[in-house]
Amino acid sequence: MRMPISVTVNGSPLRLEIDTRQNLVGLLREQLGLTGTHVGCSTGNCGACTVLLDGVTVKSCSVLAADVDGREVATIESLSSGADDLHPIQQAFVANQGLQCGFCTPGMVLSVVKLLEENPEPTADEVRRAIAGNLCRCTGYQLIVQSVIEAAKLTREGAPAAA
Amino acid sequence: MITQEFQFHAPSTISDAVALLAANAEDGKALAGGMSLVPAMNLGIARPTAVVSLNRVEELDYVREDGDRIRIGAMTRHARVASEQPIAEAFPLLARAASAIGDVQVRNRGTIGGSIAYADPAADYLPVLLALGASFRAVSAAGERTIDSREFFLGVMATALEPGELLVEIELPRPPAGVGTSYLRLARLEGSFPLANAAAVVDGGPARVAVGGTTATPFLLELDDPEALDAVESAARDAAVGAFPDLAATADYRRAMAGVYARRAVEAALAERRGG
Repeated sequence: MRMPISVTVNGSPLRLEIDTRQNLVGLLREQLGLTGTHVGCSTGNCGACTVLLDGVTVKSCSVLAADVDGREVATIESLSSGADDLHPIQQAFVANQGLQCGFCTPGMVLSVVKLLEENPEPTADEVRRAIAGNLCRCTGYQLIVQSVIEAAKLTREGAPAAA
Repeated sequence: MITQEFQFHAPSTISDAVALLAANAEDGKALAGGMSLVPAMNLGIARPTAVVSLNRVEELDYVREDGDRIRIGAMTRHARVASEQPIAEAFPLLARAASAIGDVQVRNRGTIGGSIAYADPAADYLPVLLALGASFRAVSAAGERTIDSREFFLGVMATALEPGELLVEIELPRPPAGVGTSYLRLARLEGSFPLANAAAVVDGGPARVAVGGTTATPFLLELDDPEALDAVESAARDAAVGAFPDLAATADYRRAMAGVYARRAVEAALAERRGG
């Protein structure tokens, strides 16, 4: 079934015609070309497809595109225009090697954006709980946690420009 | 992309939602947070021909204090159940159960009504609701009824809801002052369903302990003497005689853990009651 929707994606209001069988991650990647959001499991486990829906993190494989009519979506593309313009959280991940293959990173970073909004100085345990819904298949968690602690520090210090 | 075609409906009122569910009673599905239904549709396991999304029905998202009860709308998301002040004060075990579900993203989207209507035997809420004596309000095109939580769960993912009937509200009686409560879960990983979970409520009268995760439906025990912990443990082990095995645990292990977690939950509730 085709259906018109209005949705704001990364600040741009869009009017789209969608297939109701599409889930949100399919809409973002296939219809809008926003391939920064990844598809891992399609079962709500891995968190690679994490995006912000009305300002909170959700797994976009488990949200129907039809259900974002009238809502606001923000993806990893909203944080940065490219390698020279990395968000402080992304800078901290690079500096601490908080990524190996990088597949989980977009979802991981968005979970961290929300964590640091709510808790600017998280403990390592709080970081682990906050990213429990983002699986790293390379199992590089130690460096991810370290990256988040440093990202928190950068953010508290007013996020200086790229290193 | 989901392979099966379906009609999508997004009503904004309960009455429109139940009319749509009545019109699609055969193969229609109510969609709440979608944390179970959408993955099942992605995999082709669930193949509804019509989906009635409740995500626009704002009148289903509330936590309301109503005298000696608290009422929770079915579309209230886990994150809100976990953090809402009246719930944290009156039912800390319910807040604890909500904050143990899945992960941040799941709690942001998943709903209490969706979890109850889906009736996974290991869902975090179920023993808590049984121990608290919850009841559920359901609405259909034919009218409205209230179902006691003890009569609601009929089997693995099977409930007393009829086709076309929508769970709209969870009603919880406020426990008396000085009550002791607890919620405990046994899980191998953060975010995974528990292998066993238990909730206990100890006030002046007979204590209640409910155990989930081990049998097809959670079970509730009333205890005249909650201090007799050996008896609590063996009663729960007896009640879990039909415990199921899966890849994570054998039936015997689940049955043993039903006893252990019932005992620990009662012990924790007694300690809380003594501690004031």
